[in-house]
Amino acid sequence: MSAVAGEMTELLATRGAEKVFGSAVTAASCARDGQTFALGTVDGDIVLVPVAGLKHPETWTRVEAHDGAVLCLAPDTGKEGFLTGGEDNRLCRIGPDGTVTELHKGRRWVECVASTPGHIAFSAGKQLEIRDSSGETTLKTLEHPSTVTGIVFDTKGKRVAASHYNGVSVWFVQARVDTVRPLEWKGSHTAIAIHPGGEAIVTAMQENDLHGWRLSDGHNMRMSGYPRRVSSLSFTRNGRWLATSGADAIVLWPFFGGGPMGKPPTELARLPGVFCSAVCAHPKSDIIAAGFEDGSVLLAETGSERVLPICLGKRGRVSTLCFSPFGGMMVFGTEDGCVAAIDLSASD
Amino acid sequence: MSETKIPVTVLTGFLGAGKTTLLNHILSAGHGRKYAVLVNEFGELGVDGDLVVDADEEVFETNNGCICCTVRGDLIRILGSLLRRRNKFDGIIVETTGLADPAPVAQTFFVDDNLREKARLDAVVTVVDAFNVSRTLDESHEAVSQIAFADVIVLNKTDLLDEAALEAVEARLRGINASVKIHRACHGKIALENVLDRGGFDLARALETMPDFLENNEHTHEEGVTSMSFSVSEPLDEQRFQAWIGALLQERGADILRAKGILHFAGQKERFAFQAVHMMADGDYIGPARAEEGQESRIVFIGRDLNRPQLRRGFESCRA
Ligand SMILES: [Zn+2]
Ligand SMILES: [Zn+2]
Repeated sequence: MSAVAGEMTELLATRGAEKVFGSAVTAASCARDGQTFALGTVDGDIVLVPVAGLKHPETWTRVEAHDGAVLCLAPDTGKEGFLTGGEDNRLCRIGPDGTVTELHKGRRWVECVASTPGHIAFSAGKQLEIRDSSGETTLKTLEHPSTVTGIVFDTKGKRVAASHYNGVSVWFVQARVDTVRPLEWKGSHTAIAIHPGGEAIVTAMQENDLHGWRLSDGHNMRMSGYPRRVSSLSFTRNGRWLATSGADAIVLWPFFGGGPMGKPPTELARLPGVFCSAVCAHPKSDIIAAGFEDGSVLLAETGSERVLPICLGKRGRVSTLCFSPFGGMMVFGTEDGCVAAIDLSASD
Repeated sequence: MSETKIPVTVLTGFLGAGKTTLLNHILSAGHGRKYAVLVNEFGELGVDGDLVVDADEEVFETNNGCICCTVRGDLIRILGSLLRRRNKFDGIIVETTGLADPAPVAQTFFVDDNLREKARLDAVVTVVDAFNVSRTLDESHEAVSQIAFADVIVLNKTDLLDEAALEAVEARLRGINASVKIHRACHGKIALENVLDRGGFDLARALETMPDFLENNEHTHEEGVTSMSFSVSEPLDEQRFQAWIGALLQERGADILRAKGILHFAGQKERFAFQAVHMMADGDYIGPARAEEGQESRIVFIGRDLNRPQLRRGFESCRA
């Protein structure tokens, strides 16, 4: 195994493992059964990390899935496996054993994919396609005014929202006649998140800020003041906070007590001069995982401001982080091609 | 100018001018270099080893509310993704559609931090059909823009005109853009070093060779688009220059299509290469001047309704 020589004191060294694959990591996901993680790379590979072999990188496998970068990754509709989209204009299904099945091949990059147990949504150019859980049947194709840059389903899987130029389009997955609910705001929206209680949709914008819409009445929310473009945003499990990258700390916007309008954001885990590059909220507790551009990864508690370092620097910009469905395990990947996994439930 | 940045060549030109022929010539030239090419319509491209990506020209206005501050979001997305691969490309070529305004493409490289960090706009290359260009310029606002924006013009189909007619065409092109480098060609055949990897606009040489005789020839043709250059022989005060150019671009940026300069700031050994597209400006130190070049600073403006006395007074007031 070609593990990185980390500090012995790092939690990653005692409770996890890492391996350098060399190609920048673009995305990470965990299967619905929580038994396998997958990470995609710029060279089209999927790295499969079985939870049973979390601390043993020799059990991690690399699958050649795409020609060109893996652009997006989501859990499959079933218990096992993954869905991936790539620069080769393909949408693929990856089995836990590494089997690759092509579900779509078109003329545009497959840039976004999302799933629920019942549906797959993916985008290629301006089109968002909804398929059934088998991935074989196209239920509908939804047109947008410009290229789709992000897709989310709401918690119940009833609505799907897509970000693009000048706003977001919200659609009902099961509608017999498709009518869009447009949420408009001028500019380029580059990423999207939905409040777990369905209260709001938030996008990251090209110009170093966020834009949000309250879904009850379409009211606009502006969240600005970032020194960098926000590339990663994640709501906490109960929707109280929206965690984002884009500053030299985790930025948290309050979605309670009338916020975020007129409320300043809270900052957690400031690393002066080192920018946060990826965030992921824990699925079961009030914890945010954050990765930084120097390769540092840490967990921060939203209530107490307590911070637990996982590893410190030396791994390249953290591009993606992902928890298992119950939050006991986590993986992350970096632009230097480091893949790491950690068991957070272990009591040694 | 960091050499680790990947050079980006923007290829513009009207429909039928020979853009696709030139692109095929570039890709099949056996130079041993690998290019990523962004095209708008799949043509007969796709030489082995080159990566051709089909893109839609998606322009958006930045949210400062100004109509000239437009950017290509598709470039930010696609190049952002391609540039994550390391050591995979020697260069990137962006082909625009015939009617496209080159400004949003160029401005994209000023606006996006990620692209600024990893790539540099090498040159805007405009392919011009020598035979039809006069009529095209009379009829089309976009054609004038494409000439005004060019660092390099490939004057194609030169076999269809005699020398006198070619000289007339070149004079008209220089009336719009006095600092452009014009290469004659037919069937898109041109030495690649004239087009690719020009090393950051080749600014010093372009300004050096800019013919002065055209400067007094202030056309009101071509919708008032013309170019003016100014020079001062004493070093400039950097802060005063930044304040002046900042205010000028803010106020007149919509009409200033491009500005480029090679500047000597007082107390700096290295020359400063300055460039702007409409309101967006950028600059870099590019190393010391050669002895024979002296301390002269030169700046050129290409735009509409330029006010020569005002620009001259402004530039001269930046002297240290
Ligand atoms: Zn403007
Ligand atoms: Zn004239």
